[in-house]
Formats: sequence, structure tokens, C-alpha cells
Amino acid sequence: MDLRWSFRNLRRHPLRTVLSIAGIAVASAMLCDMIMLSGGLETSFARLMLLRGYQIRVTPQGTLPLDSEATMPGITMLARAIAADPDVVAVAPVVATSLYGSPTPHSALLTLFGYGIDPANQGLYQLESGADLLPGDSLGVLLGAPAARLMGAAVGDTIALVSQLDPQVAGAAAERRLVVRGMVRWLYDHEGQPSVGTIVPVMQALGGIRQADRASVLMVKARDGADVPAVVARLRGAHPGVEVSGVDDLVRHFRERMVYFRQLALILGTLSLGIATLLIGTLLAITVNERLPEIATLRALGVSRRSVIRDVLIEGAALTMAGGVIGVVLGLGTARVLDRILTSFPGLPAAFSFFVPRPGALAAGLAATLTAGVLAGLYPAWLAARAPIAATLRAEAT
Amino acid sequence: MIPLLLVLALAPPPPQSADSAVAAGTARPVIDIAVERRLAASLGLQVGDTVRIGSAPDSLSTVARVAAVYEPPADPATVLRRDYRVRLHLPDLAALLGTPDRVDRLGLVLQPGVAADSVVRRLNAAAFGYRAYGSREIASGSSQTFRVISRFHRAIAVISVAASAIFLLCIMLLKVEERRLDAAVLRFIGIRRRTIFLALLLEAVIVAVVGSMAGALFAFVASAATNAYYQHFFETRLIFSMVTPGIVRFGVGLSLLLGIGAGALAAARLVRTRPLVLWGRG
Repeated sequence: MDLRWSFRNLRRHPLRTVLSIAGIAVASAMLCDMIMLSGGLETSFARLMLLRGYQIRVTPQGTLPLDSEATMPGITMLARAIAADPDVVAVAPVVATSLYGSPTPHSALLTLFGYGIDPANQGLYQLESGADLLPGDSLGVLLGAPAARLMGAAVGDTIALVSQLDPQVAGAAAERRLVVRGMVRWLYDHEGQPSVGTIVPVMQALGGIRQADRASVLMVKARDGADVPAVVARLRGAHPGVEVSGVDDLVRHFRERMVYFRQLALILGTLSLGIATLLIGTLLAITVNERLPEIATLRALGVSRRSVIRDVLIEGAALTMAGGVIGVVLGLGTARVLDRILTSFPGLPAAFSFFVPRPGALAAGLAATLTAGVLAGLYPAWLAARAPIAATLRAEAT
Repeated sequence: MIPLLLVLALAPPPPQSADSAVAAGTARPVIDIAVERRLAASLGLQVGDTVRIGSAPDSLSTVARVAAVYEPPADPATVLRRDYRVRLHLPDLAALLGTPDRVDRLGLVLQPGVAADSVVRRLNAAAFGYRAYGSREIASGSSQTFRVISRFHRAIAVISVAASAIFLLCIMLLKVEERRLDAAVLRFIGIRRRTIFLALLLEAVIVAVVGSMAGALFAFVASAATNAYYQHFFETRLIFSMVTPGIVRFGVGLSLLLGIGAGALAAARLVRTRPLVLWGRG
């Protein structure tokens, strides 16, 4: 007996083999998708957090970045104190507030999202066209594409930003007329979010938090090679009034929020593996049962039990391998569809992905399917090896 | 009016009671708050306890008395956030935040018979600094998350149904194929093909019916287990899984269709095969 025996058996029942491979492929595709979903959330989130190399976030106590309207006071002093840490190379303050925009003096007000940034140290955007803001440029503004579309504004245009509207007097407490310096891509914005950016003091004035020198987040960049967790611990000790989080901490919080998806991935992945095991086990058990006379004859001719077991296991492994490989390809395709659905979540950064294909994880998934296939073949293989030779041959002869 | 962050801390044992300090005019008045059950459990708070609250960790200057512990309504929009909540009287919260006479939103009840849409249009035409929404528009906007989840579940269900369908086809095919020898013997003793076909089909029907009923029962058990687990995990009364009559009809119908269809196909193939071939001598 050799490997050809196993493959010949599979070819003997083409419909059965094709259906089994198809079943294993779909189950394996689901398993791959769930593996991509379970680890992909965290990988994608960590990647997003590190897009501009800022590894630490400082936020108001008890909050996550831009998760509430809370702000921290005395931001200039705090930023200076943090920047004094020997391992810190940049501190980027961010003020986030909602405001209104008006492309012309008498046009209707449009709801916008405003970022106050320090152009010298910023981790929020990439310039796409025009010019960046210069430090101290209190007359300039940056627009993202959705805001530019909404306002009908282009580089060089002047727009008005207003905030703190008072319905009783029909007036705004803060108003600035600003020149559009450039178009940018806001890295953490959700699809279609109309965001604008100015230097920190301008946005603080618009948000009514200038006096207390408040900001929503400080993004902190540690020098290359620095022990980031140690820097985080040091900053936490030095500034107990604020929340200091490394990317790992943020990923942990995010993981807690997305626990539903991770558990769903675990449950569905386990079910997929179970279905593949059941399918292979059933198929091999019935196939072995059908071929008992043939196996008994081979055993009578001197073929060892070990060879019988090996060939049944190879048959299961071959089915699993074929189905598993097709499943990985199918899984990559379905993951794109599922990702498109989930990334349409309102408020989720457009750059975020739920399903991230990682070669190591996919290989682990394939290995798990293969292991399940081999394990599923153990019982049928044992049945084949233990077949009573004389009784089976006598029954076959009569 | 609760979107702004409140930082809550337990008050240390005061040297004099908060009430006596207020009576003596040496402290700010104690305000009453209602604390969500989860938060009360987490901090070991009971009705009558006092806490200090503020809008920042360095401004926990307001002393509050826990006047009630409440169970918030189950809200799927916030279940994953698991934030703790505290309820304050509107003037107390406004004073705490330093934003007197400001609110985040107002709810309006219209006169009977007045169309909400026309009021929304009228208000928005005159709006400055606010925007009016009809309840339907708000519900549509806030249910976007659940529409996404629902689409995701449907997509997953399509894959699961495909996998189950193939599995079912395979099993039924094998189940009928297993009867090759029986079919051969029946043919040898003169039983008609049609009778054998019907017998195999009947067997497939019984397997499909029993299997789909067991599947439906399993779905109810799995659904109950899912709800029990997630309700405990998220400390909520929300229903996470619901087996509706429509789902049962779809599941059972599809199982019967596929099971019986596959059984019929396999049986037809079997009865067309010569008995000697079925017996393994052809």
C-alpha cells in the first residue's frame, strides 16, 4: 500500500470527494475569517495609533482619547513638563471641539468638527495639497476633503468658523474668519467626517477653553529605542491628575470594547473547526466501512495495521489540505466583503480594518484545520485496523 | 444632559457630617444623586452614603448624597461601553459643570394631531444654534450601528448556511450510499426500483425531519445559553439572540429541502445502478 491507494479511493467517489472538499473549504474559510477578525481588530487599531509614530496618549483622568468632551487644563505647562522627560522627543497637543462653518458671510451654518493642533508637532493628519499651517499662524485653517466639499471651499478661500451659538440672542460667542491654507487627510476621522484644523489657541478660543488653556489629548512621541512602558510609568507617576496610556493600554481598552467580536470569532471559529472535523470523520468512517472487505484482503496479504492506519489518515489529511487551501483563498475573499460591512460602523476611523490577513495566523488556521482532519481520521483508521480479517472475508465470500 | 465627564470619588469619613456642616453654613449644600446599580455595586455604595463629585479629579468639591440606586433601561447603544452613570438634578449638574442655563437637548411633546415633520421644519427654519429632529430621524440615525451588525450577522449566516448545506448534502449522500448492499439484496429478491427508491426517500425524509427538529431545539438551547452568558457578561437585560418563528421556518425548511433533495438524488442514482454493481461484483 502507498499514498496512491489513498488518492485512488478519493477519486473512486468524485461527487463525495468534491462535496467533502467544498464543505471543508467553506468551514475553513469561516475559520480563517474568524482568525483574521479576532487578531485583526487589535493589529489594525495598534497600527492606526502608531501611524505618525506617537506611542503615548495623555488624556483627562478616566477617559480615552477623544472619547468624551472632557479636557485637561494648563496644557502648555503640562506639555512642557512632559517634554522635559529625557526619552520624550515630541509632544503634540490636540484640542477637539464641535463648531460651525460658513463659506460666505450670510450662508447657513454647517456643523463641523474642529481640531486644534501644533503644526510643529502633530500626529493627526497628512497634507494632501496646498500648504501646511505654520506655528503661530492664527489666520490659517486646514480642511479635510468632506469639510471642503460641504463648504465648497478650496485652498486660498476664506471661510468663517463660529461656535458657542446662543439661540436666545441669535449670536455666536466666538467667530474667526480664516484662510484655507491646505487640504489634509485626517488620520482618525470616520468616513465623511467634516473636520477642520487650526493652531491650538484658535481652536481653544472657538471652543471657549482658551482661558484655562485646555486640550483634549496630548500625543507623546518617545525617542527610537526608548522603553515606552517605562516612559508611560514615569509619566503616570509624575502626572497623577491625567491618564497616561501607551498603545498597549489603548489596545487593551479597545479589546474590552470589542469583546463581542472576539467572542463571536472564537465561537464561530470553533464551530467551523467542529463542522470540518465532523464532516471528515463521518466521510472516512463510511468510506472505511464500505471498504472493509478490501482492507481485510490487504491485511490477509500481509499489509500491516500501521499501513492501514497511515493510509486512512493520509486520506483525511489530503481532503483537509485540499479543502483548507481552497478555504484560505475563499476566506480572504469573504473577509473583504465582511470588512466592508463592518467598517461602515458610524464613527469608526476610515483607516480601520476588522479583518487583517496575517500570514502567521492564516498558517496557524490551516494547521488547525489539518490537525482536525487528521484527528477526525483516527477513529475510522482504528476501525479499519481492527477489522476482523477472517470474518470479513467469509462474509464477503458468502 | 449627561455627555460631559463626571469624575466620582468616595468621600473620606468627614470630621463632621455633611448635613451639620451645611447647617452651620460652612460647606456647600449637599446634593442628591441617583447612582446606577453597577456603579453602586462596584463602589459598595448604598442609599444614604455621601460621595464627592466633580468634573475633574482636582475639583471634587461637591458633596452628594446617594438618594437612590437605579437600574438603567437596557440600551444596546451603550452596552459595549460599560460606562458608569450617575443622575443629577438638572440645576445641580449645570452648577457642577459651570454651564448654567445650558442643555444638550430638549425633548418636545406636541399637541395631539400636530405633525412632527411640520414642526421640525418650522423650528429648523428659525433655528440658530440648535437643530430640531423628529423622533423617527433620531431613531434611524442611532440604529445605524445595529443595521451594520445586522448586515454582518446576515453575511455570516450566509456562510454558515452554505457550510451546513454542503455538510447536509454530503451526509445524506453517504447515508444513502451506505445502503448499497441492502438495495442490491432487495433488487435480487425482486423488489421494484420504485419501492426501493421510496423506501430510501422515506428514510431521508425521516432523517431530515428528525435532524431539523433536533436542530431547531438545539437553536433554542444555544440561544438561551447565548442570552444567559451575554446578559451576565454585560450585566444587562438585553436580548442578544432570538429564535423567531421565521428563523425556525427558514432553518427547518432549508434542512428539509436539502435533506430530502439530496436523499432523492442519491436514491435515484442508487436504484439506477445494476444490482451486481451494488453488490460489488459488477
